Amino acid sequence: MIRALSNSRSGCSSSLPLRYLLWLCAAVVTAQSLSLFRSVTLPFVHRHSPTTQKYLIETMGGGVALLDYDGDGRLDIFLVNGGKLDDPVRLPAYFRRAEAAYANRLYRQQPDGTFVDVTARAGLWGGPNIYGMGVAAGDVDNDGDADLYVTGYGGTVLYRNNGNGTFTATTEAAVEGWSVSAAFFDYDNDGRLDLFVARYLDWDLARNILCGTPFHAYCRPDKFNGVANVLFHNEGGGRFRDVSRESGVGGVIGKGMGVAVSDYDGDGFAEVFVANDGMEQYLFHNERNGRFVERALEAGVALSDDARSYAGMGAAFGDYDNDGRPDLVVTNLALEKFALYRNEGEGRFSYTSLSSGLAGLTSRHSGWGVGLHDFDNDGSKDIFAAQSHVLDNVERIHSGLRYLEPPALYRGVAGKFAPVDLGLPAVAGRGAAFGDINNDGKMDAVVSVLGGAPMVLLNRSARPGVTLRLVGRRANRDGVGAIVRAGAQTVYATGAGSYLSAGDIRVHLSGAPRTVEITWPGGRRQTEQLAPGPIVTVEEKE
Amino acid sequence: MLPLFFLALAQAVTPELRQHVEAGLRAKAAGDLDGAAREFQRVAELAPELAAAHVNLGSVYFQQKDYARATGPLRRALQLNADLPGAQQMLGTALLAQGAAVEAIPHLERAQAADLLGIALLEAGRTRDAVDKLEAALLQRPEDPDLTYYLSHAHGRLSKDLFERLRAQPDGATRVQQMLGEAAAGAGQREQAEKHFRAALAARADLRGVHLAIGQLYLAGGDYARAEPEFRAEARMAPMSAMAAYKLGLTLMNLGKAAEAITELQRAEQLQPGMPETHLALGKALAATGDLSGAEGALQKVVQAEPASALAEAAHLQLSQIYRKLGRTADADREIRALQELRRGRR
Repeated sequence: MIRALSNSRSGCSSSLPLRYLLWLCAAVVTAQSLSLFRSVTLPFVHRHSPTTQKYLIETMGGGVALLDYDGDGRLDIFLVNGGKLDDPVRLPAYFRRAEAAYANRLYRQQPDGTFVDVTARAGLWGGPNIYGMGVAAGDVDNDGDADLYVTGYGGTVLYRNNGNGTFTATTEAAVEGWSVSAAFFDYDNDGRLDLFVARYLDWDLARNILCGTPFHAYCRPDKFNGVANVLFHNEGGGRFRDVSRESGVGGVIGKGMGVAVSDYDGDGFAEVFVANDGMEQYLFHNERNGRFVERALEAGVALSDDARSYAGMGAAFGDYDNDGRPDLVVTNLALEKFALYRNEGEGRFSYTSLSSGLAGLTSRHSGWGVGLHDFDNDGSKDIFAAQSHVLDNVERIHSGLRYLEPPALYRGVAGKFAPVDLGLPAVAGRGAAFGDINNDGKMDAVVSVLGGAPMVLLNRSARPGVTLRLVGRRANRDGVGAIVRAGAQTVYATGAGSYLSAGDIRVHLSGAPRTVEITWPGGRRQTEQLAPGPIVTVEEKE
Repeated sequence: MLPLFFLALAQAVTPELRQHVEAGLRAKAAGDLDGAAREFQRVAELAPELAAAHVNLGSVYFQQKDYARATGPLRRALQLNADLPGAQQMLGTALLAQGAAVEAIPHLERAQAADLLGIALLEAGRTRDAVDKLEAALLQRPEDPDLTYYLSHAHGRLSKDLFERLRAQPDGATRVQQMLGEAAAGAGQREQAEKHFRAALAARADLRGVHLAIGQLYLAGGDYARAEPEFRAEARMAPMSAMAAYKLGLTLMNLGKAAEAITELQRAEQLQPGMPETHLALGKALAATGDLSGAEGALQKVVQAEPASALAEAAHLQLSQIYRKLGRTADADREIRALQELRRGRR
């Protein structure tokens, strides 16, 4: 996993006297990262406009999506910006999203792996006056290209992909208030992607309060009421219908942050987990009749093992112990320990943060975006988390904690986790999206940074892997919700999960599996022999 | 009581005196304290040797919270009759209110007013005596916030006095470091606390409680890897310490070493049986290693010992998971309902 840098790359020069040469080489090698990842820079800076008012929205954004918007087979990167906040804000707020500093950005990947800003050309410049938060990506009309849904404070927008490299903003699936993470998934297996939108708090700029003495800090969520999440059914023809009420989702008040989707009980229907901040977590069980019932407590994923609620931030499903069932990881704040729930089958999870070693590794860290993928292609899934405390002045409150933290990788080994030094700088990590950016069969990551430039991290693991593109026929076009099995590996096809972000909808497998078994949404099974190579496409048989 | 006594005496005096006495009493009853003071002042002038005259005048000033003016008449009354009911307490209180704690003490002692006497003793610097009196008073009025405050203050001062004595002792430096560490830990200054604790250990490596305190700093800060050796050191030094065994067990649990944790938690239970915290941790550790029956027993003890606590919530959650694993769905549902009920009650 770790690759030493050569002398020529580290900048050592043989023209120097030997004693200096040794000293200089050692210094350079130490300073550079011997990391699993290689960083690529993007000319984007997230603007969150911190104020003395400590508006809550300042510390929560923003999201990132990995999508192939132009169908050229390469992942592109969409970044959600925050917006301008005056100090204090004069209402009605104007977030200046059409100004260059505050605009969302779409970066198209070129054949040489570089990225070009195509925001304006793609019709994504400006948009409605919302303070940006998160993004979901999915082919909502099954026309073969990815559409985008952007959440935020003050509204949402669905950008429909026109199929010619441009998008058209629509008011479909509009959500009021403060929406955070969103996920496209097909909850009724009708072949069309539906949409779940998590909302955070019943808060607005006009009702902001100052918290903390003798200095101000961002308020705890218990200072405000929660709100219900929103579920939209895809009616086809580009229309979404709000089914929050009839599905039961709208009857449950929460403080939603991250959203993760999987079929945790293996009944062929997708469930939704919502990471709630400062209260019990929610698991919306799919009743297979258009209704959802919140079952987190009885499933064992509502609380920590001490029956305490925690500040749920990001969430991701993934089979960390290779038993074929999706487990669940939830990031939270320092001193809470990331929550890991092992799927025991029969709709039941057990809290394994302690027994897996994750508690000891994460107890002093605060996590946001998170992914459960096999980053080192060794056959066991690892946990990657964007990290940072929510309070930008946490050091004044707790000397042992830090606001800025480097992203973390916790390497999975036989059901336990071990730390990996990525050698990355400490940042205010928030969103995180995962995917095979350079099509080499390895899982890469993009971390969005509050008030900073994103980290684009290209995986340079030595082990091979495969990225599987699914093409649905009866199922939705991208096979979202399909379950892919290859030996001990089981992967659920989804771009949802993490925090505020949308990952690669393709399925990543480690090694070079010859055969995969695919269970398409609705339960149809298909076995496929895979052609060699890091990128393979499998079409659903009619 | 005082006016009746006064009237009894007044029957033997002149009509003029009687007239002023009755006017004073009427004014006092009507809430006209200035008028009452004028009348009683006249009575005291007409009958300067009459103790009741002075005590009534003093009581009016006392009622007006004019303690400086109350002091003279009350003092004069007690010179004339040291047994006047209420006068000792009023004078003691008036003196205390003016900051004359030392002078107030004998009056409050005679009045047997333990609460005020405790405060006076505290202000007079007799901290140990103050603690005794305030504790006695607090037994009578356990919910009194003022008494609780003064007792806390007295204990703090006693502690400070002892600390100063310790600092003055030639061999006291080690314990001083330990105490400074404890104070810093209490104030949330973790780095400072560890510095003092380490200094104490450098001087006396066998000092009990210091490794425990350092371990606790790490445990609370989520640094389990550093907490473990500290608790192990404490457990070696004090093998009969249930706390050291418990904390070590808890730390091992957080490090994912459930089997090792069980050994320490069982040791903690033997050393100090019946602690619900130990039972909870033991129940979780046993469940993690697959001993569901042992875990069930330990967790049920938690619920029995503290049925309405946060510990019971955790035990109900753990029990529900154990019962689900065992296929005892009805029992699992019952435990979830109990957990929900407790959580609702706490909200």
